[in-house]
Amino acid sequence: MKPKTQDKTKPGSQIEVITGNAAAAIGAKLARPDVVAAYPITPQTEIIEQISKFHADGEMDCELITVEGENSAMNAVTAACLAGGRVFTASSSWGLVFMYDAILATAGARAPVVMVNVNRETPGIIAVSCGQQDMISTRDAGWIFLIAEDCQEILDLVLQAYRLAEDYDIQVPVMVHYDGFYLSYLSEGVNVPFQEDADRFLSVLNDQPQRTKLVPGGKLGCGTHGILGGYLELRYKHVSAMERSKAKFEEIDKEFQEIFGRSYGGQIEEYRMDDADVVLVGSGSMCGTIKAVIDEKRDAGVKVGLLKIRMYRPFPGEVMVAALKGKKAIGVVDRSLCFGFKGGPIYTELKAFETQLGGSKMMSFIDGIANTDITKANVEQMIDLTCDLAEGKDVREVTWVSYPEAQEPDSEKPDSEKRGGL
Amino acid sequence: MTEKKKGKLTKVLDYLKHEDPFSKGVAFCPGCGLELLLRFIPQVLGNDIVITGTPSCSAPVLLGQNNQSWHTLSYFGTLMTGAAANATGLARYYRKAGIKNTVVCFNGDGTAADIGFGNLSGAAERNEPFIYICYDNEGYMNTGIQKSGTTPYGATTTTTPLGSASKGKNLRRMNLGLKMAMHKIPYAATATLSDLEDLAKKLLKAKEAKERGFAFLHIFAPCTTGWGYAPENTIEVCRRAVKTNYFPLWEAVNGKIRMTKTVKKPQPVSTYTELIKKFAHLNEADLQILQDDIDYEYCMLGGLSVLEGECQLPVSSED
Repeated sequence: MKPKTQDKTKPGSQIEVITGNAAAAIGAKLARPDVVAAYPITPQTEIIEQISKFHADGEMDCELITVEGENSAMNAVTAACLAGGRVFTASSSWGLVFMYDAILATAGARAPVVMVNVNRETPGIIAVSCGQQDMISTRDAGWIFLIAEDCQEILDLVLQAYRLAEDYDIQVPVMVHYDGFYLSYLSEGVNVPFQEDADRFLSVLNDQPQRTKLVPGGKLGCGTHGILGGYLELRYKHVSAMERSKAKFEEIDKEFQEIFGRSYGGQIEEYRMDDADVVLVGSGSMCGTIKAVIDEKRDAGVKVGLLKIRMYRPFPGEVMVAALKGKKAIGVVDRSLCFGFKGGPIYTELKAFETQLGGSKMMSFIDGIANTDITKANVEQMIDLTCDLAEGKDVREVTWVSYPEAQEPDSEKPDSEKRGGL
Repeated sequence: MTEKKKGKLTKVLDYLKHEDPFSKGVAFCPGCGLELLLRFIPQVLGNDIVITGTPSCSAPVLLGQNNQSWHTLSYFGTLMTGAAANATGLARYYRKAGIKNTVVCFNGDGTAADIGFGNLSGAAERNEPFIYICYDNEGYMNTGIQKSGTTPYGATTTTTPLGSASKGKNLRRMNLGLKMAMHKIPYAATATLSDLEDLAKKLLKAKEAKERGFAFLHIFAPCTTGWGYAPENTIEVCRRAVKTNYFPLWEAVNGKIRMTKTVKKPQPVSTYTELIKKFAHLNEADLQILQDDIDYEYCMLGGLSVLEGECQLPVSSED
């Protein structure tokens, strides 16, 4: 993994053609973690293989714990973090939910753990394929969730995640999400920061007060049994820290730009939004395709833009409302489900802000589940339907873009009824 | 060990070099085996240990509530599922940061033998540098006396109750200590509260061994409330468990087993069970099943200790 070329046009970096997983591993390496827990799962495995190789080659001076399961991975890094260490681990899908009790404890202990989750489907049909259901199933664990669009953003977000998690005023674990398969195995050019620049970017943390640490003989403990008022106090402080993380993330984005020359806009990225009448809301790898289609639609005179969610927890409601207010129609693309609401989870959450949007109409698109490609044709269809909604045409609230059967009139009826009774 | 160099330790009290970090009155039942053990450990190992525990009987005292706890130790309340993994994280970070440490992962049999066994075994396989202590009260006592993997044959619990179709637990207990010794870790041992000098020695050996890797102590700690015996009989229950070979005392260095106390004339198991209500319903035939299990396990232990003594294991032994 030695750099071949140096791009003099970009400050503090060198271009390498690497996968999304390699970008995550290099991001972690640049942060110089003290303790890394490693356990394989598709499509994340390459990350921990890379880190193991860095460790074996003496390029990474960390304690590498090759745990016997994901649950132990999260428990081990949480404890190491509470003892004072900088930590890293990575997982996906079933692995993430196998550490579910632990990620709740990590957040509750306010341990600033940084991990990568490579999004993969989770439900009963063992879907070795992309989807954000793992992220949605853990959304209120108390972690900050960031979502990357491409390999560059994966590396950059991992570095930024340490600044956010370990910030003295935040101290909340951060999970960096990116789409499995579409990004995990995608090779593309990535500006890899120089170590000294990464060190400079993270050195802000060294100048802050030290967080409380669990030290031998320290007469201090953590993980007590909180009840009543004590518990309420901790929970309220947790919620408050999550709220503070929104502005902090914007600050970090600006400081990142000063050193590395790249800015993403903080909690959300707005693409051709200024004069847009209709907007698609998306996240992750689909955004590249959406941007390409938007460019074509703009050439054809359609005023369409994209709001890309970069921070999903805490939910960036305020900046989304500011960006979407007054738009004629909004189509939200979800790569996962939430039951009982019909629409996707992000759509459902954005609906809570409907009264603040000044009359914008909203619709939900379910697509990209289980590696169904969100193609340019699919995106075009979504934009067209959102334009129809803006024009007041009668359109469905929820569209399963890659499953037209869902749009049939009796699709919600049970099979027995369609067959003519049990 | 600096303590050892000062002179030969002969009495139990000589091992208690450090203060009792626990408050004089704590929220345990009178006669609690766990409390005696919990107070004993830091007095032998020192007050600079980091002790971790899980939701259990030990939790209210060890982990406290909100900002309050009953002791001055550095402690961490972990999940039952990942107790050994948490201790791993602590010990590894301290090693990386060059911080001198003794991490004691202190859990009941529910965590050690049941829900947390996977990561206990994983930590042993990786030879993680800390001490794991299982205080075995043969069930889930804090939740109201349910069966665990170490609950013995015939014992009644609230999930193995007496009934027209049940005589208590219908399965033999697992041998947790032996299972851990089979990981060939630097140190594994059994101990109990009736043999405190033996326990103290083993604690110190575990502390020494964790410099080379994983140390495991399986400590028999009876429960007056859950088992149904008089609070003043806690030590007597331990004593009889040893004398009947119900709970033999041994140690294993790198997997090599050696008895630390050999009972010349083992008493029948009934001399042990007669003290305890959870066995009160067992008739002679039932007791024979329990006795056969004890005899079998002791025979296996004896065989292993002879075998291990004769065979040269392909690992270095410093003992």
